[in-house]
Amino acid sequence: MEIVMKEVGAVVVLHLKGRLDLASGAGLKDEIKALLEKEKNLLHLNLAEVDFINSSGLGVLVSVMKDARLHKGRLTVSNLAAYVQEIFEITQLSHIFEIFATEAEALDSYQSVNAD
Amino acid sequence: MARYEFTYPSILEAEGRMLNDLVRVLARHRMTGLAKQSVLVVMCEAFNNALLHGNKLDPKKKIKVVVTIKKREVTADIIDEGRGGLEKVRKRQPSRKWAESGRGIGIIGHYASSVNFRETERGGLKVSITFEPDDKKILSKC
Repeated sequence: MEIVMKEVGAVVVLHLKGRLDLASGAGLKDEIKALLEKEKNLLHLNLAEVDFINSSGLGVLVSVMKDARLHKGRLTVSNLAAYVQEIFEITQLSHIFEIFATEAEALDSYQSVNAD
Repeated sequence: MARYEFTYPSILEAEGRMLNDLVRVLARHRMTGLAKQSVLVVMCEAFNNALLHGNKLDPKKKIKVVVTIKKREVTADIIDEGRGGLEKVRKRQPSRKWAESGRGIGIIGHYASSVNFRETERGGLKVSITFEPDDKKILSKC
């Protein structure tokens, strides 16, 4: 899996590309761990180019969400393909993740939280 | 009817190899879109169970995958060389909300038309999965 990172204000946006599965999940975990250690705890994952996800990939997302919360941070996701969205729904993870239709909407939500 | 048989060592990289092989097989039979994704995710879940829980990533142990395609009906067997796999399946508890694992069997149950777990003569687990073309779960997504 390919990960492209950019910073938008205080939020680190990670664009994921390819399969999010057992083999590739460790790389994402390591990247997020490194960010949290640098006190970058506002994280957004754009999944537009994730073409495959399974329960191992979901497990990685749950793990990084828990890590972000432990660091008093926030993790959002956006741009889920229909198939990925369905996997979130059938595993009921759609209830615990903040899911946005677009990256812009997700980033706006960080602005509103800061403004409150 | 077309039959494909693959054997993989129990190493992490086998997951990607199996998916690549399956993508090629499904493309040959013009299976696309969410129907294809359903087959891929179910096969991957069963394969990873064999890899992690059956063969426990022992590279000496193999995982055999047999895929049969008849028109648009797909059947598959995933066979590991582990021990007591059937008992583990029977004792499985639903995953908790924040659990990082344990969602695979639920995903298999959601997308597959039928799934059957059996123990092999050597004590490994054989998972047999069917995707039927008239299954509304799949057809509605084509």
